[in-house]
Amino acid sequence: MKVALKVNGVQRHVDMAPLARLLDALRGPLGLTGAKEGCGEGECGTCAVLLDGVPVNACLVPIGQCDGREVVSVEGLGSIEHLAPLQACMAEHGGAQCGICTPGMLIAAEALLRRNSDPTANEVRTAIAGNLCRCTGYERIVQSILHAAYDLRSSDKGAAE
Amino acid sequence: MSLADLPRYEFARPRTLDAACALLSQREQTGGRTVLLAGGTDFMVQVSQGPLVDGPLPWVLDLSRLEELLGVGFDGTTLRIGAGVTYLALQRDPIVREYAPLVARMTHDIGGPTIQARGTLGGNLATASPAADGVAAIAAYDPVIEVRSLRGSRKIPMAALQTGYKQTSRANDEIIVAIELRAPAHGSAWCWRKVGARLAQAISKVAFAGIAELHDGRTTRVGFAMASVAATTALLPNTRELVLATPLGSLTAAAVDAAVTLDVSPIDDVRSTRNYRVHTAKAVVRGFLRELGAPL
Repeated sequence: MKVALKVNGVQRHVDMAPLARLLDALRGPLGLTGAKEGCGEGECGTCAVLLDGVPVNACLVPIGQCDGREVVSVEGLGSIEHLAPLQACMAEHGGAQCGICTPGMLIAAEALLRRNSDPTANEVRTAIAGNLCRCTGYERIVQSILHAAYDLRSSDKGAAE
Repeated sequence: MSLADLPRYEFARPRTLDAACALLSQREQTGGRTVLLAGGTDFMVQVSQGPLVDGPLPWVLDLSRLEELLGVGFDGTTLRIGAGVTYLALQRDPIVREYAPLVARMTHDIGGPTIQARGTLGGNLATASPAADGVAAIAAYDPVIEVRSLRGSRKIPMAALQTGYKQTSRANDEIIVAIELRAPAHGSAWCWRKVGARLAQAISKVAFAGIAELHDGRTTRVGFAMASVAATTALLPNTRELVLATPLGSLTAAAVDAAVTLDVSPIDDVRSTRNYRVHTAKAVVRGFLRELGAPL
């Protein structure tokens, strides 16, 4: 099945079995290995991407449902040279340790901050409730996201002034 | 089935409900099995975990973007929820929040945000797991489920939908289109309790939904439903009858517990035990009745 979708702002095409997973498309023909396969059944969240702006588990989305849609994976947030504030804060504040959950955490956090620029710690915890981390105990991830939210608000204010 | 089987699937994405009904009917006449795909939160796990059935692979009919299955409406009395509306959309819908706050509240307890973004009431009604939180929540409103096929439309009362464990009275050529529920009097009491191992990504040990309209210390409308306490979503008929027949001030814990015990038949499984579930079922019902003013 031929599927046309926008990935990280760029129009892309794949030709795959319709029930192949969006995750297979990303990590295979699209060459984007940021989203990881953890559990493969929607429990762990490390394959999370934004689909039309909403976080989903790429392991549960058949590529046959993706025609004409817009996907943002962790690669779409920033680059090694220009880390997004969320990425920089995860590195700086110890939110990333082994790194397996990090792409999904970043996507979940991105979805939150797009809707809520000043979340409480509880709102952050709710937003990442579908993302499992076995290293950090979550606290440093929550702190990293709160720092990123603060930095984004400050830079917005700076831009406005 | 293995990943090597994937190319053998037939996959169709009809543009309209009529086209979907026609395809499904055609398929049924030739005796083939068809999977109706919504958010895929159950089906995609099955696909990657192994064979569904021996024999030919089922057709997959993607219903996820059929406009006829999307949208929420309220006509002043009845709330109509499209079968394909995701739990996330329900959570954010101002009409649902206003007229069925229990449904909006429940959505927060389904899986995590990524599952809420994909799961639908239509999907959960069709697969008919007795552990489905969403089904228990709407069942408290005694909704009707509208199904459509080439043969026409019909409305199935919730109490007649589930016929056994993961079995429904929906015919194979019928598509669940919408859920219609009569909104309780504005500001009526409601209760949603999910008891699970953790707040997110947990299947319920017990989940309870309750609504009640009160007049002069009596309940004039009551709806209870429970997940994970029987082979089907439990509708607690004995408990409803007791509460409707008894002034709230005259309810006793013993009578409530006896009714709840008659209404549930849970099992021991990987998530909980029969004993714990019976205990919890009584506790959550008493808790709601206490909120309503019963001396329990």
